[in-house]
Order: sequence, then structure tokens, then C-alpha cells
Amino acid sequence: MTPPVIKAMSDVAVRLTVSPAPHWRSKRTVEKMMMCHLLALVPAMAMAIYMFGIRAASLAGIAGAVAVVTEAVCLKLQNRDINVDNYSALYEGVLFAFLLPAGAPWWLAAIGAVVTIALGRTVFGGFGCNPVCAPLVAWAFCRLSWPQAMDIDFNTAQFAMNYPLDQLKHFGVDSLYQFDYKNLFYGFQLGGIGSSQVAALLVGGIFLIATGWIRIFIPLSFLIGVAGTATLFWGIDPSVYADPLFHILTGSTVFAAFFLAPDVASSPVGKIPQILFGLIAGIMVVIIRVYGIYPDGVPFAIMIANLLTPLLDRVRPKPFGGR
Amino acid sequence: MPMLKIHYSLESDLKKDIVDIPAPDEINIRVSNLVLKTGKGKKIAKGELIAEHPSRFGGAYHAPVSGKVTKVNYHHITIKSDGTDNCVEPVDLSSLETGKELLRTLQGLGVDVAPLSSASRLLIINGLNPEPGISVTEQLLRVELKTIEAGLEMARRFIAPEQTVLAVSAGSPYRLDGAEIKQIKPKYPNSLDALVAKKVTGKEFPEETRIMSVVDLYRIGKIVLSGLPITDTTITVGDTNYHIPLGTPIRHLVEYLGLEVSSGDKVVLGGPFRGEAVYSLSEGVKKADHGLFVVKAGSFPAIEDATCINCGECVLNCPARIQANLISRYAEFEMFDHAVRHGLHSCLECGLCSFNCTARRPLLQYIRFAKTQLMNQGAGEQEQG
Ligand code: SF4
Ligand code: SF4
Repeated sequence: MTPPVIKAMSDVAVRLTVSPAPHWRSKRTVEKMMMCHLLALVPAMAMAIYMFGIRAASLAGIAGAVAVVTEAVCLKLQNRDINVDNYSALYEGVLFAFLLPAGAPWWLAAIGAVVTIALGRTVFGGFGCNPVCAPLVAWAFCRLSWPQAMDIDFNTAQFAMNYPLDQLKHFGVDSLYQFDYKNLFYGFQLGGIGSSQVAALLVGGIFLIATGWIRIFIPLSFLIGVAGTATLFWGIDPSVYADPLFHILTGSTVFAAFFLAPDVASSPVGKIPQILFGLIAGIMVVIIRVYGIYPDGVPFAIMIANLLTPLLDRVRPKPFGGR
Repeated sequence: MPMLKIHYSLESDLKKDIVDIPAPDEINIRVSNLVLKTGKGKKIAKGELIAEHPSRFGGAYHAPVSGKVTKVNYHHITIKSDGTDNCVEPVDLSSLETGKELLRTLQGLGVDVAPLSSASRLLIINGLNPEPGISVTEQLLRVELKTIEAGLEMARRFIAPEQTVLAVSAGSPYRLDGAEIKQIKPKYPNSLDALVAKKVTGKEFPEETRIMSVVDLYRIGKIVLSGLPITDTTITVGDTNYHIPLGTPIRHLVEYLGLEVSSGDKVVLGGPFRGEAVYSLSEGVKKADHGLFVVKAGSFPAIEDATCINCGECVLNCPARIQANLISRYAEFEMFDHAVRHGLHSCLECGLCSFNCTARRPLLQYIRFAKTQLMNQGAGEQEQG
């Protein structure tokens, strides 16, 4: 039932804009949010180029561009407004590229970007509706389809370094003497092109928190989850299990803390749920690293936590005055 | 033009007195949902009854000027002023005992008497400015203390509270005779009645607690002192407060104050968080309006009916601890029962969810929509039953 619209006293000289309250708004928009997220990736991108050469930039470029085109095509096919200018597709394409090893072939970046958008987002209803962090869906897809192309050690053989997590997996804690934690921190390590730039990612993450684009709850609880669980194992037997700092400085832990786990669509909305989510994801990272077959537990840990999100969001406080 | 500053502060730095705005030639009073008590062509004196409120305790409406009713429609009545001071006789309230008759008299003079209709152990007076950019409350506390105290005395006769508390912004000097002081951080949304009551009592929706605003008391005080009905409101524009006859078209205000309004701008009556954007400069100010804001076109990204991106900002900013993202979606698809189950009625309508929404969804609008629909359904059922 629509009530009759009576435009009493309507005025033609000055046509006012009418809209519902509130009339002031924070200046948050999806575009700005995504732009800031991209900006937050810049230091890591720069470090990646420094580390792995221009190849890192071209992989990110391919993935980003293909993601935008895929998004536009998907929106067009669904007859929706083509709003790729909100940078969300670009951002998630680049996120996917950050997980790739430096030697990954260009087609892998392209396919991954298509999967990120088409399978990661569109089939679930588009940006904001995906239950699982979209770049991780693509990562898992590619990892299962082309295990060799996705393998970090295999694709970075030209570097006189080892992938820390593979070393831990295959040669145990004793092999870790070769890694200087300071170097790990600065990103002088093998890993995904962007996801191994610990210090640079930290700078980006702090920028996002300081500017209010992500809340601190998920990153902090995630890191606490990783550190806490690692400490537990390490305390049990330091000759078998790596120390917590190693877990934080290697693989995509820091990348996940600030960029994958807080992904808006697939993480919970409430404060307590967000903290639980971070903790669970963090704990899972170490458990998978210890018991799983994949050296870096991060992607699967986040995906598992993503699947728990709807459940976690049911943990809500009593409404104001509620019984 | 100065940059618009968004802020949550409820503090006001008041130096000026309240300025009277002279009545315009023509006034437009909104009467939708009121019971009209006058008709087209009638000559009326200032203060004469023009409409009653349909609810049991709602205050009546009176002519703010003397003149002739020239237009009546579903929404408004228009009165053309004759420029004279022809005014109704004051009512002598002092002769009346506290009781039903006095209550009805106050109601007839324009007071919403619901808060006075029964006794309560605790009376809280909300002395915080209601929203950022509105300083009416503190302005009245500063310059109209006598009138407010007269109003408080009258309110106490009905409510007979054991304890009276005046909630003021922390650090402010405002006091009321016979009221304890509770200092509250002057930051929106702390000025909302429900949150003030919680700050004072420590409980959410406490029992045996009545909350009234300084403006309510000021109005009652004015009636007590003058015996005349309420025909004006006090409104903040910029850093100054104005007494202004009810129904004064915004155009008159805009011209009188030299404000700049062009096509595409928003003109908001009330506050920036909860107010109403009018669609015509002929719209008259109403009793509950205490602010006038011109929001220039392009100051803010427009509201969109976009899909939620699940960022959680609405939830994390909600003082009522409810999930505006969910509730608004239920409202959107008319699943009102679900909305209620998720705490619709706890919503304090502060507007912070829409204010912060990254996807720019009209969350508060959906919530208000659900509430009205439910209310109408309820009313419909009562009629049938
Ligand atoms: S208006 Fe929004 S933020 Fe405010 S109480 Fe209601 S749901 Fe919460
Ligand atoms: S703030 Fe807006 S986009 Fe974010 S969760 Fe709430 S409704 Fe969704």
C-alpha cells in the first residue's frame, strides 16, 4: 500500500534535495575504502619489486586488470550497474597476486583473478556477499589445480634462499638457524610476492587502522591467536616446534592479519564475533602448520574461520533494555 | 562559505541572547494527523485554538498570529496575518488545584501532558543539547532560568518525584533549583533520553523514571507565567538562537537571516542526525523543531539503495547494540517480525548507523519504516478488535 503523494506547497524556484535522516554523514564510501586499501598495499608492492624484480609488478598488474575486466563482464551479464570504479575488484585481484610466488606464470595470475571475481564473488551475489574471502577461493582453486605453479619453493628456485615454512615442514626446527629474524621482518625471504613483505605490510595495516578503515579487533586477535598457539606448542617442545615469532614473521601471517582476515564480506560484524573470529583463524594457522600438509596454514585457516562467520555473528549482546 | 564540520560535540559556546524573529505575513502550520478546530475564511485571534492532537495527552495548537485562515488542506493551514496584536485572554492557572482540570487546561494550552499524567519516583531533566549544532537547551538554561524553574515546579506538582536530577554536559555551569546534577560527556548520542536515563540510573529503560527536556519545562513555565498558549519555538541557526512563531515559513527565516539556499541543497528542520529535510521553503517550523541547517549540495556522498558490504560499522557504532545491517534488510523485505526479534524496538533512532554506513544505505529510514508499519498494523488490529 503506497500512501498518496501530496506535494503541498511544492516549489519550482528552489528545488531542494530531500532525503532521509541523518543529513550529515561520515565521508565513508566504498570507493574511498578500497582506495585506501590499495594505498596500504603500496609499500609491500614496492618491497616486492625490490625483492623479486619487475615481475612482481607485472603479476599484480595482470591480476588487477583481469579482475576489473571480469567484474565488468559479470555485472554486465547480470544487468547490474557496472561500478568497477569502486576499486573493489582491482583490490581483490591484487590481493590474489600477492599470494603468488614470484616465478608464477602470467596465465596463472589471470586465471586466479577471473576465479577471484567470478567464483569468489559473483556467484554469491557480488561484492560484499561472498562468504569466503574471494582471493583465497582463487588461491585454493589454483593451488589444487596447478600445485607446481603455485609452489613457492619450486617457483623461486633461482633465489639463493629457502622458503622458511617449507624448511620447517620438511627439515624441522633445526633447519631454521639459516633465517635471521630481522631479514624475515624486512621481507628478505621467499614467499608470496606481496604476502611475505612483513614490515611493509605492517606499515600498510597500521595505516588502515589509524585511518579507521579497519578495526583493530580482527588483526590483533588473529596475531594473538597465532602467537598464543605457537607459544603453547613451543613450550611443549622447542626442539620440534618453531617459536611464535617465527610463525608471525613467515608465510602470510601478517598479510592475513591486516588484509585477508578483515575482508569485510567474509568476517563478522560485531565486536565480540570479530575477536572470536580472529582468535579462531589465528589458532588454526598454527594447527595447520603443525599438523597439515600445506606449509603455510594461513589461507585454509582464514577460509575455515570464514565459514564460521555466520555462526559467530549470532553471538550478539542483548539489545539495549532487552530482556 | 565555511567548510561544514562534522562533529559529535554537544557543547555550546553561548554569548548572545535569544533573538526574536518577527512574525511573517503568512504562516503555514502543518496539520496532517491533527483534529482541525477552525476552517477556511475564519478570523482568528492570536492564541486561538486551531487544532487538537488526536492522542490522549497531546498538546493543542494555536494561532501564532492574529488574522484570517486563507487555506486549508490535508497538510497545512495557512493564516494571513492582519498585523494586529489581537490576542486571546490569558488563562488564570493559579486558581486551579493540581488535578485533572489543571492537566486538561495545560493540554489545551499546548503542552504534551503525557509526562505529567502520572506520578514517578524519579524525574530526570535532560539538559543536554539534543544534537550537534543545536544549542537551544543550554541557551534556555542560561537565559530563561526563571521560566524553566516555574515549569519544573508545575511538573513536580503532578509527578511528585522523590528525586529530581538535571543532566548537564560535563563542565557546564547550569543548575536548577532543587535538582541534583549529573554530568554527562557532551558527545552525541549521549543526549538521547534513553542514554541519559541510563547514565543517571545505571539501568536501561528504568522503571519509575520520568524524563523531560529543558524545552518541555520552559514551555510549561511560559504558560504558567503568562497564561497564554504556546505559539512559538526556539531554534538554533548557526551560533544564535531565535524565538520564532510556529508555522513561520522557512523562506521567511532564510530571507530574514540572509542564508544562502540554492537548488540541490538540503534544508533540514531539526538536527543533522534526526531532522527532516523539507521539500519546500514554504514549510513552516513546528513545535519540535529546534534547529535549521542548510546542507549544501555535494557536501556528502548521497544515500544509495546499494547492497550492504557487511563491513560492520553500523553494528560497531550502535548505542543500542543491535544489528542495523540485519534489521534494515528485514525491513526492506517487509519481514517485520524478524526485525522485532533482532531488537528493532531497542533502536534509539540516533542515526549513527546510516551516518557511518560505508555502502551509504538508508538504514535509519528502513528502521523507521518498519516501526511505522508495525505501529499502523497494531492500530489497525485495535480498530478491528
Ligand atoms: S539508529 Fe542505528 S545506530 Fe542508532 S540505535 Fe538505531 S540501529 Fe542503532
Ligand atoms: S555499515 Fe552499511 S555496509 Fe556496513 S555492515 Fe552496516 S549496513 Fe552493511
